[in-house]
Amino acid sequence: MFLVVGAWTVGGGETMMTGLIAQFILGDELARIPFWDLVFKPDAGYWKIYISLGMLFGALVGAILSKEFYWRVPRHLSEWVMITIGGLLMGVGIRLAFVCNVSTFFGLTPQMNLGGYLSVVGIIAGAWVGSMIYKKVLEG
Amino acid sequence: MSVVGECLTAFIFGSMVGFLVQRSRFCNTAALRDAMLFKTYRNTKALLVTMMILTIGFTTFMTFGDGKPLHFYVGLNQVIGLFLFGIGMVLAGACTVSTWVKAGEGNVGAIWALLFTFIGMFLFSLVWSFIYWPPAGATMNGVPNVAGLQFGFANASTLQEETGIPAVFFGLIQTGVLYAIYRAILRKERRIEEQRSAARQPATSSVEAAV
Repeated sequence: MFLVVGAWTVGGGETMMTGLIAQFILGDELARIPFWDLVFKPDAGYWKIYISLGMLFGALVGAILSKEFYWRVPRHLSEWVMITIGGLLMGVGIRLAFVCNVSTFFGLTPQMNLGGYLSVVGIIAGAWVGSMIYKKVLEG
Repeated sequence: MSVVGECLTAFIFGSMVGFLVQRSRFCNTAALRDAMLFKTYRNTKALLVTMMILTIGFTTFMTFGDGKPLHFYVGLNQVIGLFLFGIGMVLAGACTVSTWVKAGEGNVGAIWALLFTFIGMFLFSLVWSFIYWPPAGATMNGVPNVAGLQFGFANASTLQEETGIPAVFFGLIQTGVLYAIYRAILRKERRIEEQRSAARQPATSSVEAAV
């Protein structure tokens, strides 16, 4: 169990999905972008993809069993804008850092990895700035 | 394990996590955001307890030379990247895990956030292809690379190797620190509770007086 959790990072699966989608759209043109050749070669057999899909599935089952499943649509334009910017920042941030918050809190820091501490500093500062922006948007 | 077996295991593991996270409403984003914005600490406490258990677990494994730590080279990119990630996750209202979970609950906003996470990753892949920073995993060899702002690699296992002190010792220190934070949060909660009841007290007594 510890071994599985320790190796569990979330960003990798999403990156691979991005790669696969991009490969599907762009075809062989993708090989001209070095990132997808040197760092992440798109591969549908990459196991982390299935953790993410599994989470989607598990949450769906949980939500249906507890009768919590219903379509929620953000109502305000400001929410859509925040989600869009937030999503973009998460994508860029994950790839720049090579880790995401799950591996920070559950993988690297418990292993006392130096990266864990650096990441915790970054994420707390980021969450603080984010909270300030969030507050401004909600109040303003 | 074969590739299909690996993927299947991963899928089952993911389903379990998704189910539990959906039921418990656990979220790393909420753990940080609620503590800063709303001064509620339910998720923060859960996060701290999880980290304490995992710290003990990992360092115990490492003491016996097992435990397969992530071999992970770190640098300044972690701080910058997670800073951006931190802003993003608060704005999007969920980190990557809870975005998937919320998407499973039927939250269209979460699906939208995922879509833009993908787009963000793709955009960064273009940027990376120009600057080649941070260095790709293959070029990282553990030697501190100051020019690339990379600090090499260190964790409890390397500490154990260098100092000869069992990794679990450092793990216990870290757990102690985490526990101190946990205690501080409990105290803070009690203080907030007292303030609230103190604020409620005159209100009720004036109501009684009016009656």
